[in-house]
Amino acid sequence: MKFGHIFAEAFRAMLANPLRTMLTMLGIIIGIASVVLMLAIGDGIKKFIDKQLAVLGSNLILVQSDTRKSPGARARTGTTQTLTIDDAEAINRLSSVAGAVPVLNTFSQIAYGNTNANAQVQGTTSATFVIRNLRLGAGIGLSEVDVTSASRVAVLGKKIAEELFYKNDPIGQSIRIDNQSFQVIGVLDNEGQSFDMGDVGQIVLVPISTARVSLVRMQTPRSVAYIVAQSKTAEGVNEMVRDIEEVLRDRHRIRADDPDDFRVVNFGEIAKQGEAIGKGLAFALGFIGAVSLVVGGIGIMNIMLVSVTERTREIGIRMAIGARPSDVLWQFLIEAIAICLVSGIVGIAISMGLAAAVNATGMFELTVGVRAILIATLFSGFIGVFFGFYPARRASKLQPVECLRYE
Amino acid sequence: MLMDSTRAQDAMQRVLIDVIDVKKSYVTNLVTTPVLHGVNFSMQRGEFVAIMGQSGSGKSTLMNILGCLDTPSDGEYRLDGKQVSALSRAQLAVLRNKTIGFVFQSFNLLKRMTIQDNVALPLIYAGVSRAEARRRASQQLENVGLGEYGQRQPNQLSGGQQQRVAIARALVADPPLVLADEPTGNLDTKTSVEIMSLLTRLNREAKQSIILVTHEPDVAAYASRLVRLKDGLVLYDGPAATGLQQMRTEQLEQELGMPASEVSE
Ligand SMILES: Nc1ncnc2c1ncn2[C@@H]1O[C@H](COP(=O)(O)OP(=O)(O)OP(=O)(O)O)[C@@H](O)[C@H]1O
Ligand SMILES: [Mg+2]
Repeated sequence: MKFGHIFAEAFRAMLANPLRTMLTMLGIIIGIASVVLMLAIGDGIKKFIDKQLAVLGSNLILVQSDTRKSPGARARTGTTQTLTIDDAEAINRLSSVAGAVPVLNTFSQIAYGNTNANAQVQGTTSATFVIRNLRLGAGIGLSEVDVTSASRVAVLGKKIAEELFYKNDPIGQSIRIDNQSFQVIGVLDNEGQSFDMGDVGQIVLVPISTARVSLVRMQTPRSVAYIVAQSKTAEGVNEMVRDIEEVLRDRHRIRADDPDDFRVVNFGEIAKQGEAIGKGLAFALGFIGAVSLVVGGIGIMNIMLVSVTERTREIGIRMAIGARPSDVLWQFLIEAIAICLVSGIVGIAISMGLAAAVNATGMFELTVGVRAILIATLFSGFIGVFFGFYPARRASKLQPVECLRYE
Repeated sequence: MLMDSTRAQDAMQRVLIDVIDVKKSYVTNLVTTPVLHGVNFSMQRGEFVAIMGQSGSGKSTLMNILGCLDTPSDGEYRLDGKQVSALSRAQLAVLRNKTIGFVFQSFNLLKRMTIQDNVALPLIYAGVSRAEARRRASQQLENVGLGEYGQRQPNQLSGGQQQRVAIARALVADPPLVLADEPTGNLDTKTSVEIMSLLTRLNREAKQSIILVTHEPDVAAYASRLVRLKDGLVLYDGPAATGLQQMRTEQLEQELGMPASEVSE
């Protein structure tokens, strides 16, 4: 007996009792859908984090002042702001560092003509374009001359530029930041979220010197909010962190037994933590999926046992006219597999629908990949074999005489 | 010598069924019920045998053994030159598929399948391609006069038509033997005559070997040979006409004897 024929008969048997078949399939459908979604969410989180790292630039760390832990040091120096532009320059000179930029942040009102907007204004240096992978959609970026001469120039994020200028060309136009006039010299092309800047599209970049003079009032003139540094290689991040700690402790004259007055935040580590959380979530979903697959599989086994009993006479007739025990076994096994495979396909379709709905909101991207579809299909086939085997074997062991006597 | 041996071989091959001292007991709840007490029976190719006997005499039990659906508790059964007790379940299935066509009292067609697919099924199990199986099924349906009914479902046919479909299914793989346990049991007299004419035609024209179980002497009269069972033993084995005549005489004696004794009291 050929497999095509057995499959055709399996589908006929499924259609003979459509409601029952559908209810039986439900458990597997839910199970497969949640397993596929689990894989999609796992992938989605990984992609989300990778994308953020790409926006931010890779191999980055952030150095913040941290005086909470060292009241002694604060008392000795008499300051609360320990990081300065000079610290940033010292870090920049380290051999393990590809680039380091000091940052001053302020949330300011931006105005162009009658149009107003609020945005984060970041005072920084020209190196920020390199280490953060910032690309320009129009105009030019900040230059070293801009920083040394404290020019009143600004580079706008894509969205804020659109908000202020609509379709007009912003380059060369004059805007007001906290009521002070700045000239727009460039517009960024980047999109997405960055760890320290928020939405890159909403940012306004100005020379750090200008920010310090005109926008941000610090207690000490050369202080900065934090420093972002990039290591030369991915493997070199930890080495760079050690070098930075060493040079800062030296510059801040911290005694060997005193704690640091700064804190190093490793974005790679944060990303890894995020990934771990994502994996945990995916694992939880996978567990739910596995449980419902097992429950669904038991349901299939149950219905197949019922089906074998109901069709005892049919089995007897088939055996009488020449079905071997193996023919009967295959018939019921393939019926169970067919139910599971159809459930699997429906489950995949449902998860694709849900993923599309999530994607439509634009908040998170879920893609049901080929890998997920393959895993789900194989898995549902396996469930069919696993839970269909016992009923099928039972059918194959029936005696023809007894089957034919069965009413 | 050579002539002799070929003739002996010929004679061997003419023997289709050989039942030697077959016994059968059923065991239910630790109670053993003997049903067949030692049946001896042999049959040549091309014979048309009717089996008769009272209800419970073991006719169906014997038919199940002959059909390789059940195994004897004791004794020997040879079908088409093969020792049946030596075969595995799978080998028995193949033997049934190739050697025996079954016709049941309750037709036993598979619902959910078209008439054509029902008839084609033995060929499918024999490994014939679906197209070829369907072609031969249609031919066989033509043969039993149901050529136009191939695409119908079994429940859309009358009892007589269903039984003719069952006969077509029994014949489609061209088996040497057809076993029919009360094929007319669920049919009215007129339809029974149709079915019996069909079986008789097959026996006469195609030399089809047939064994048929029946309660009705009218049905048994179509056969050439009669085997009567009583309490698990062969009571009569011989020409159908003689056997049926004998039965009538027994019955008449009983009917005449009873009122006579009642009168004397
Ligand atoms: N599976 C079984 N288990 C126990 N006893 C059985 C079984 N099958 C048949 N018998 C018994 O064997 C005896 C013969 O049964 P069988 O079916 O062969 O009779 P039959 O001659 O075909 O009768 P009928 O004319 O009513 O069909 C009966 O007494 C019956 O109760
Ligand atoms: Mg019977």
